[in-house]
Amino acid sequence: MADPIRVLIVDDEERFRDTLGKLLGRHGFTVRTAGGGNEALALLADAPCDVIVLDVKMPGLSGQEALPLLRAACPEAEVLVLTGHASVDIASAMITGGAADYLLKPCPTDELEGAIRAVYDRRQATKPR
Amino acid sequence: MSARNSMNPAILPEDHSPPLWPHTLLAPLMAGAAVLSALAAPPLVGVVLALFAGAVCIGSALVLARRVRRGERKLHDLDLRLLQSQKLAAIGELSSGIAHEINNPLAIITQEIDLARELFGPNGCPGEGDLADIRDSLDQVGKQVARCRQITHKLLNFARKMEPVIQEESLERVIEDMALLVEREALGRGVAIVRDYDHSLPQVRTDVPLLRQVILNLLTNALQATPQGGSITLGTGRRDGQAIIEVRDTGCGIPPQNMAKIFDPFFTTKEPGKGTGLGLSVSHGIVARLGGSLTAQSTPGQGATFTVALPL
Amino acid sequence: MGLRVLAVDDETDFIETLVKRFTYRQIPVTAASNGPDALALLDREPFDVVILDMRMPGMDGLTVLQEIKKRHPLVEVIILTGHASVEAGMQGMSLGAYDYVLKPVDFGELLEKAQKAYERKKLHESRDTS
Repeated sequence: MADPIRVLIVDDEERFRDTLGKLLGRHGFTVRTAGGGNEALALLADAPCDVIVLDVKMPGLSGQEALPLLRAACPEAEVLVLTGHASVDIASAMITGGAADYLLKPCPTDELEGAIRAVYDRRQATKPR
Repeated sequence: MSARNSMNPAILPEDHSPPLWPHTLLAPLMAGAAVLSALAAPPLVGVVLALFAGAVCIGSALVLARRVRRGERKLHDLDLRLLQSQKLAAIGELSSGIAHEINNPLAIITQEIDLARELFGPNGCPGEGDLADIRDSLDQVGKQVARCRQITHKLLNFARKMEPVIQEESLERVIEDMALLVEREALGRGVAIVRDYDHSLPQVRTDVPLLRQVILNLLTNALQATPQGGSITLGTGRRDGQAIIEVRDTGCGIPPQNMAKIFDPFFTTKEPGKGTGLGLSVSHGIVARLGGSLTAQSTPGQGATFTVALPL
Repeated sequence: MGLRVLAVDDETDFIETLVKRFTYRQIPVTAASNGPDALALLDREPFDVVILDMRMPGMDGLTVLQEIKKRHPLVEVIILTGHASVEAGMQGMSLGAYDYVLKPVDFGELLEKAQKAYERKKLHESRDTS
């Protein structure tokens, strides 16, 4: 069996990241959660991950501001933007900034899970051997 | 794109009317010539020349007047368009705010439902531990619905255009009543409320319950911003023929980059779900409807002052 | 036609005293001991001002206030709050209550506020009909 996909959820809504973490954990992912950009950076300093699920509108460091820092802290991770923000402009700007994909909140869990697996697989396929 | 361009005054079609100088120069010249020749020439020629000069003057005045009127109309159209585009921008901002505020609780609800479904298991017979989790999920769904409802209700209040009902009331009394209400909670948090009332203020004529709402909102905001051991100063006074109410706190203040946004609907620095970000914008709207103004000043680190000015 | 009051509180002693004092001033007053009764009374009879306790078993004061404002927007509500219900009092004010009175109630203050609330309702009605 392949190693579980390591996911880091970054979202300021505590209940949201906890329940999403619980669901993904049940589905075989290894999950860590962070309430903001700085906390996520601290977690990445401990251990890398495969996919970062990143909210956009957060107090303190916004998702857009956190994106380059997260990518620098963990270059092998793919970033999936998950936003409740109506501004698709920001999401597309983040794709330009290196995020793999974005999804709009609210998003059914299986759809999000599919997206996580898709960006993970794409990374595995392009990873230099 | 074209709609946006048409809002821009710089891209409006050029004015193709002829230049003004022949009229403005010719008319006084003719008039001067007429006066001079009326002095020298025989009277009949003088009268004809004067009539001619007068006609030219009237004609050029008419042309000028028409130009001015056309310019004014154009300016008015521009004002209307500008107002419209500002309105559209405000609506855009508002709906983006609503979408975000409602989407977050919806995202939580979606997730809780997914989790509860899964915990129920394929045969619909969850275990003891899972049942507690399902109940917890349902509670959470209820909470998030309440959060959405709070937002939509506040919005409806926001949209409601109730005309103010004007009554005469002592400003100090209105303020003191709200201070007493907030003071109980303030004391519990170790925050003092300091009064600095101008007792000579005459009664104000205003919509009293609406004003109470504004003062209560400013006081609760100040209370939330003030750390233990701090104080809130509540003052009244008179300035430029207006009654002034000041709510000053010793909290963390408002960073300059947020200053322009604090009265925007949905702008909040509180934790998600803790504030709707509508309090100040509603208050701002109320004070404007009461014919006054609500403003804020702040030096970061040294607290903030909110000032309500009402007509006396 | 003068001020007509509906007083809503689950404390029978308090409400009895309140009824007596309003009656002494020749102000017609009706008592209800809970939210649903109060709402039913409002549907049946005209009242100008409701004096509403925030803390009641069953339907709480805030819910009753919202229902009153929804069904009878012109009826003015004065809420009664105690030490334990300051938070509810603040919410009540932002949900459209005319004013509040702290418990233990100073009757003079309550009467004055009720009269102000009545004045507002009359002003409102005269404008709506004109």
